[in-house]
Amino acid sequence: MNFLQLFAHNLTQGPFTDPFPFQPAPTAKRFRGKIEFDPETCEGCRKCEKVCPAGAIRFTKTDKGLEFDCWHDSCVFCGNCEFHCPTNAIHQTQDWHLAHVQQDKYSMVAHGVIPSHECPSCGKPALFTAAPANKVKGFSEAEIAEFRALCPKCRGKYLRDRKSR
Amino acid sequence: MTDHTVACSYKIPVGPLHVALEEPMYFRVAVKGETIETVELNAGHVHRGVEYLATKRTLLQNMILTERICSLCSNSHPEALAMAAETIGAVEVPERAQYLRVIAGEVKRVASHLFNVGILAHLVGYEALFMHAMQVREVAQDLKEAVYGNRMDLGAHCLGGTRCDMDDEAITYMRSALDKLEPDVRELEKTYRTNGSILRRTRGIGILSHADAIACGVVGPVARASGIQYDVRTAAPYHVYDRLPVNVPVLDGCDVWSRAMIRLSEAVNSIEILRVCLDQLPEGPINDGGDPYIPPGQAIARTEAPRGELVYYLKTNDNPEPERLKWRVPSYPNWDALTFMLKEAKVADIAIIVNSIDPCISCTER
Repeated sequence: MNFLQLFAHNLTQGPFTDPFPFQPAPTAKRFRGKIEFDPETCEGCRKCEKVCPAGAIRFTKTDKGLEFDCWHDSCVFCGNCEFHCPTNAIHQTQDWHLAHVQQDKYSMVAHGVIPSHECPSCGKPALFTAAPANKVKGFSEAEIAEFRALCPKCRGKYLRDRKSR
Repeated sequence: MTDHTVACSYKIPVGPLHVALEEPMYFRVAVKGETIETVELNAGHVHRGVEYLATKRTLLQNMILTERICSLCSNSHPEALAMAAETIGAVEVPERAQYLRVIAGEVKRVASHLFNVGILAHLVGYEALFMHAMQVREVAQDLKEAVYGNRMDLGAHCLGGTRCDMDDEAITYMRSALDKLEPDVRELEKTYRTNGSILRRTRGIGILSHADAIACGVVGPVARASGIQYDVRTAAPYHVYDRLPVNVPVLDGCDVWSRAMIRLSEAVNSIEILRVCLDQLPEGPINDGGDPYIPPGQAIARTEAPRGELVYYLKTNDNPEPERLKWRVPSYPNWDALTFMLKEAKVADIAIIVNSIDPCISCTER
């Protein structure tokens, strides 16, 4: 290896380091960064909570409904939750800017609520979770919206009724 | 009257910090003048209890936990764990996934070997070459980030297949990265073969004779540099390695230089394997949901990690958590061989010799 040539090359082509933080650092399109959660599409199966090796994801039942929390400081960015999520409700963004001051450490959380409401059919409290994709195959938009509002018991009844129709 | 007798033999501590890499190894070395007489190895500085943790987590969680045992062979651990679980559950891995597993493994091998030879240049004191080797490795790092989304922990595997598929864009990116990488790696190989500074510090240093290598049961590049032709990829082909041009380089120099040369020619071979994989990559599914049923049972799986043979033992029961998960890492036998390599060596060569086995302490002590 001719090092004089290499030096000349590095002098003209370099530097090879990124000038971050003075300029934004290039990030790959497939970069596995900060978790983002969409309660609209979550069906509340809690698979992500079960597969998370770091215990960063926690679901809690409150008066508001089913609350989702992903602690960014515990997360190891493995993407197991995204891979196992049946409805793509959880995914990793390209965002890796997670440096924060000490007093912000309890707010480094991705939060979402699947709201609780009254089942329009029986009046009991039910979670407004997304309809499982495999159960609503061939359903129209209106049917899906109708099905989604029901409690688990009434959902079963709805499916049986629809089948017999 | 004062006694002027001076002890002719001293014991000096080497480590536990920064012996070769930033990993804690501790040696008590008895020296006579500049020459080493005996070596005592002390282990246990990075014991984290990962084997215990593994029995407290489900198999799906363990796919991630095992990946984080070590950074440089992070692909081989979940790969071997998945292979053991798939053996128990008689899960068939789709062909495309098998190719993708090979691709992930070989990309990691290139990056790992370049890192080790780069560190060798640093320990020799040739900083310009070290910087250049690391700059060449950066191409492999960028490739991992572009295709898998992370520079070290690829997250490529899941039970029954792979997690990450390669689309046309990723394949094109990988081809162009390999085209950029290959001439640079070949150039590095030429430099390490001919450069006087490298040769003077590495030729005839850290000798591990063929007989000692067999007695210690060393694996990987350390074994192949002592004339032992053993590579799991050819001895017990897994995935689709029987269809790929795996070349097992063997040298009988038994020294630090031979180990570096084995690593460089393996890196060149890995690039060739990657190209063949991209050409042959079949269409089809890459997994079956990643959560197959694993019945109670036990199995052993072997893979060729960058440092050598990695053995996984998995015992499952009716619980989702494994009853026992145990692994034998390549650094375990190689580490023991250091007592032979360091015998009669000079104190100044300790770091170079230790680096030549490419020690992975966090794997060994987990």
